[in-house]
Amino acid sequence: MDLISILATVILITTVGTMVVGLGAYGAFKLRDKRKPSSGRSDETMNAGDPLEPVFLTRYVPGSTAEPEPEPASHER
Amino acid sequence: MEIRRIGRYAWRYGWAALAVGGVVLLLVTSYDAVRDSKGSFMVLLQNVVLAAITYYLLFFLVLLIIRFAMLILYSFMDHLESLYKASGKDTVRYREDISLPMVSLIVPAYNEGLVIQPAMRSLLALDYPNYEILVVDDGSTDDTYEKAMVVAREATGVEVRVITKRNGGKADALNTGMSLARGEFVLNMDGDTKLSPNTLRACIRHFENAKVGAVAGNVKVINRENMLTRIQALEYVEGLAMARKAQSFGRVVNIIPGPLGMFRKSVLQQAGGYDRDTFAEDCDLTLKLLMRGWHIEYEPAAIAWVETPSRLQDLLKQRYRWTRGILQATSKHSHVLWQPRKAGINCYILWYMLFEGVMWPFSNLLGNVFFVFVGLQYGLATLLFYWWLQLTVLDVVAAAYCVVIEEEEPSLIFFAIMFRLFYINIIDVSKVFATIDEWRGHSMTWGKLEREGKL
Repeated sequence: MDLISILATVILITTVGTMVVGLGAYGAFKLRDKRKPSSGRSDETMNAGDPLEPVFLTRYVPGSTAEPEPEPASHER
Repeated sequence: MEIRRIGRYAWRYGWAALAVGGVVLLLVTSYDAVRDSKGSFMVLLQNVVLAAITYYLLFFLVLLIIRFAMLILYSFMDHLESLYKASGKDTVRYREDISLPMVSLIVPAYNEGLVIQPAMRSLLALDYPNYEILVVDDGSTDDTYEKAMVVAREATGVEVRVITKRNGGKADALNTGMSLARGEFVLNMDGDTKLSPNTLRACIRHFENAKVGAVAGNVKVINRENMLTRIQALEYVEGLAMARKAQSFGRVVNIIPGPLGMFRKSVLQQAGGYDRDTFAEDCDLTLKLLMRGWHIEYEPAAIAWVETPSRLQDLLKQRYRWTRGILQATSKHSHVLWQPRKAGINCYILWYMLFEGVMWPFSNLLGNVFFVFVGLQYGLATLLFYWWLQLTVLDVVAAAYCVVIEEEEPSLIFFAIMFRLFYINIIDVSKVFATIDEWRGHSMTWGKLEREGKL
């Protein structure tokens, strides 16, 4: 195989490869661009009847909500 | 000192000659292989579709060669003209500091917290006696305003104003800045741009000619850290040193880049400022000025350093927006396309923009698909290689010319091969889809690029 044939094969593979990468990258860009948080749809896992209370925003006060530690279980008979 | 300068020139010219010589030698060598298999190429002309595409691609190649030759010729003439002006034989009105008019620098900023401070500090170091800085915070959700205020308080000797407003887009921010500007001249830039100290002095000289309405600056890539950004650095150098310089010779620069453009304020007001109906407000405004008959020149010594996308996805986002924006701007003035007598050179500018924006990426992709098909179907991969090599020779010659003229790093010439081998196919796919989306009227958003704070 002469030099020109080798170079021609390299260019052929690179051209096909870059076009595939180009299509893939463009597809990924469009998918990423389209994806945005929807404001209208509610969380299906949420029970609509329950009162809406913040789960992680309740201030933690040491001692007031802490439960007494359970005593170690006795293994004595 | 002189010996070092000559050494640098010799180094640059040596690399340029070596690169051009290398690809031309390869072209000559490979011609034998093409000639040997000439008989087998006749298969292309036996099928009507293949023959039509072959002739179209030959026509496109001829157009490309004419384009490259004309751009290099005119840009070299512009280069000679600028050398003549620099030699001081031309009359200079703005010679004394006292005679220099006031310039207002308008910096629109939306979520530029990472880069706004170095950008503003570069403005405080400008070598010009009479200017003010106006930072327009376009409703940023980060700390852009606070950071801009810190630099504004540091400033001594230069008036710095920081204005905050509700988010309305870049065009709106620039219009706000323009309405508050006190200078006779306005320099519009981006919030992530660093200017070279001589920018204002270099640009203001052009306005000695009363016909000149605006001056486009030279944009260079600051974050040359990986292959993608280095190829973009070469792309910017070629786009400016060759295309914009050539256009400047005819005083018809078709895009005043967002990172650096200086205008007569009266001209901006006459044109009604920036419109908000395109995604390439800089291109749209430039076309508006050209249609009104104003001359637009290019100043290579006024340099704006910008951060370019270092990730492929960000780059595609940017190019997608540019392509659609330029098509929107062109379409606003499309009536000129069919009025060569009335519109004069503006008609050719629009056709040139359509050639670069639409015909070039489509033809590149068509050529690649066609030659890959021919290579696989008929075993004529040599033809694909020869097509690729001809385009690469044009790229390398252009890169070598620009590196010499712009006194850039000679290593950039190597990236001309990478540009043709990897980069342009990926970008062209995005450009072609952007053109199709624009034609079909798909909605799109501005899309803010992530900054990395490399300024």
